Amino acid sequence: MRRMGIGALLALSLPEGAAAHRLDEYLQATLIGVTRDATDLEIRLTPGVAMLPVLMAVIDQDRDGRISPEEERAYVGRVAREVELRVDGVPAPLSLIESQFPTLEAMREGLGTIRMKLRTPRSGHTLRFENRHLPQVSVYLVNCLAAPSDGLVVTRQKRDEAQRSIEFEYSFGAGAAPEPRAAWIALAPFWPAAIGMLLAARMAVLIYSGKHDKRTSKSSTS
Amino acid sequence: MVRTTRLGTSKRSVLAAVLCCGLAPAQSSLSVASKIVTSANDFLSSLDEGQRSKVLFEFNDAAQRMKWSNLPTTMVPRAGLKMGDLSGPQRKAAMGLLAATLSQRGFEKVLAIVEGDEALRVASGGRGSMFGRDLFYISILGKPSVKDPWMLQFGGHHLALNITMAGLDGILTPSLTAAQPAKYTVDGKTVRPLGAENDKAFALINALDEGQRKQAILNYRVADLVLGPGQDGKTIQPEGLKCSAMNLSQQAMLLDLVAEWAGIVNERAAAVRMAEIIANLSGTWFAWSGPTTNGMPAYYRIQGPTLVIEYAPQPLGGDPTMHIHTIYRDPTNDYGKKSIRR
Repeated sequence: MRRMGIGALLALSLPEGAAAHRLDEYLQATLIGVTRDATDLEIRLTPGVAMLPVLMAVIDQDRDGRISPEEERAYVGRVAREVELRVDGVPAPLSLIESQFPTLEAMREGLGTIRMKLRTPRSGHTLRFENRHLPQVSVYLVNCLAAPSDGLVVTRQKRDEAQRSIEFEYSFGAGAAPEPRAAWIALAPFWPAAIGMLLAARMAVLIYSGKHDKRTSKSSTS
Repeated sequence: MVRTTRLGTSKRSVLAAVLCCGLAPAQSSLSVASKIVTSANDFLSSLDEGQRSKVLFEFNDAAQRMKWSNLPTTMVPRAGLKMGDLSGPQRKAAMGLLAATLSQRGFEKVLAIVEGDEALRVASGGRGSMFGRDLFYISILGKPSVKDPWMLQFGGHHLALNITMAGLDGILTPSLTAAQPAKYTVDGKTVRPLGAENDKAFALINALDEGQRKQAILNYRVADLVLGPGQDGKTIQPEGLKCSAMNLSQQAMLLDLVAEWAGIVNERAAAVRMAEIIANLSGTWFAWSGPTTNGMPAYYRIQGPTLVIEYAPQPLGGDPTMHIHTIYRDPTNDYGKKSIRR
């Protein structure tokens, strides 16, 4: 509620366009890609319009109002240090593969996303990831990418309430996931039910359309 | 036309019969595709040379294909023709093409989203120059044809329709529908562009028993779309309640909810799509994050082998229930890649 209240106040005072995108949160989204011999972290950091001063206080170390290449590198290094990846319970060293900074103008408009990719040459059976970067102002997303063509099977996913951390178990099967054909065949006993549902869904749609048409005839939206 | 490549004859016959009797209207796929192509050519004929050069792109123009966003067009520029730059008859022809490509309900949903942006423009006063019905763009990739693949894009702030026509197939993925405000009034009547997506989902979560809800409801907050704009080609590990653990009534409710996205495109294409989703229903998951009382902001995701739907209220400086983003994908067939290969 407090955040919503602040947001409403900010919306009144911020420049044009502020209502269109993120305001008072720093969105940190991580996708984890596991393969048989490595683990990748793809991190996207999007500061809301009102978060830029907070972020600049962290990034702009010489306070000149700009972000130099050195400051970009220092910030990316800080993020890399403030995330932790454990493979089979052991901390895994992370190397920066690539990073990309948006323009300051884009960040001022709430459009800029800092992107970075980290990798460890380690894989195993259990993984734990935690993001400890700027928790006071951030919201988090963290997910494991699916890789059915590699036969990746992920089980026992667990996260904390804020999605700052995730842990899961994983293994690699024989290979490619079942083709759609297999799905159709596997569904064979389900066919009568599927047909019933299809018709039920159609009836629901028709009923909905009937109601909708009545509403539409009363008021046009265009 | 029903996809037949890998189906046995008996299943194919049953499915065809069901689709013909239940979902699909009497029109043939060819007549639907012909009507869309005719509408596209009518629209192109209404343009002058300069406009045509702006609206037409090579079918293989990957940059244009992926140039879509939830953000206003003044922030993330789109290419193509802007609605505000079209004359009345040209605009009517553009809307005619959209109407031919979509179902009536889908077309109405799109208009409601566009008019919602117009309502946002009016409500924003002097700060509203980045919103409004004039700031939506149309583009065509390739040459409209019932035989060769081509693509229609229509979008702007809170809307991105990417419709690939591959022969007789019409593929709507990936597409983004969104709404801000999610509720507004026109002539005293309330309009909720994504109201059904909200209400049907709350009905479904409340139709689950306690054990099912325990599986479906995630223990964490989801602040945004995971696979929104810019996340093409990615799939995440599914979570929540598997549809095979739902009863028939609950499965029907889920399909009815899915139809809010799959049914945006014309009825013939939607029937093919729904058949595919039903075929994969046992491997489809339903996940929920947030309260279960309708009127509160809650995120949900429906994910199957050929389907990703996300519905995410946006806490951007106000009531999250008034600002919704959704994404609709087919990880196996976004931009029609599978259909084009066939």
